[in-house]
Amino acid sequence: MGPSWKDNHVLYLLVVGAMAWLVPGGGHYLLKEKRRAAIILVAVALTFLVGLYVGSIGVIDKVNAKPWYWAQVMNTPAVFLLGDHVADAYYRGAARREARAGRDGTTQAVQAYSVFGRAGEIGQIYTSVSGLLNLLCIINAIYMAHLRVVKGEHA
Amino acid sequence: MTVLMISALAAFTTPMRIDTTPASLLWLLPLVATISIVYKATKVGSVRLRPFVKEAGALFGSILVFIAVAALILYGIAWVVTGQLPGLLDSSAF
Repeated sequence: MGPSWKDNHVLYLLVVGAMAWLVPGGGHYLLKEKRRAAIILVAVALTFLVGLYVGSIGVIDKVNAKPWYWAQVMNTPAVFLLGDHVADAYYRGAARREARAGRDGTTQAVQAYSVFGRAGEIGQIYTSVSGLLNLLCIINAIYMAHLRVVKGEHA
Repeated sequence: MTVLMISALAAFTTPMRIDTTPASLLWLLPLVATISIVYKATKVGSVRLRPFVKEAGALFGSILVFIAVAALILYGIAWVVTGQLPGLLDSSAF
């Protein structure tokens, strides 16, 4: 006996949602909404990259800015890798700082990727807003897929 | 080619220098444009260039107007609280 209609439906929605998260606009592309997918891809990716360029990749900070980080992760799962890389660099810097403080008594800050001032704010806001916009697109793609299943367009 | 790629990647490891000036508020515009475009991309029935640009432009304008009104109200409150209120309190019978 094959899988029930509901199982297929849920799997279909999950695949659409996963595609939309994997690549911005991927969910809409899967639904053959190519123009919509292209607009979303360009807008979300460009905003994310501008944010990274303005604030440096240090704005992906899963150690000190967790709420912002979870918004940024909504862009694509690749942000997890970037976050791990930045966190590793942060912890290495912190270990070096502690070693230096033990040796000469100073506590000079050692940062792998500097983030500061207005540029840091703008970078964080751009990358997080692009993530939240992609979350909107993920939800929209899942909803469109659901409507198509209900209307019987999806075979 | 490799040098070009490395320098392009290196540009993402140091932040830009942006001073805290009124001009830095212009960074708001690209973000509002993105919000308008992506929101409208999820809302319109079919994506055709002219109606889409028109709708996204209208949303862009209305967000900017709303932000300007909110800024004016907040500026007014700050002006009253920091500029007018201390003088009134000093001259009162209390």
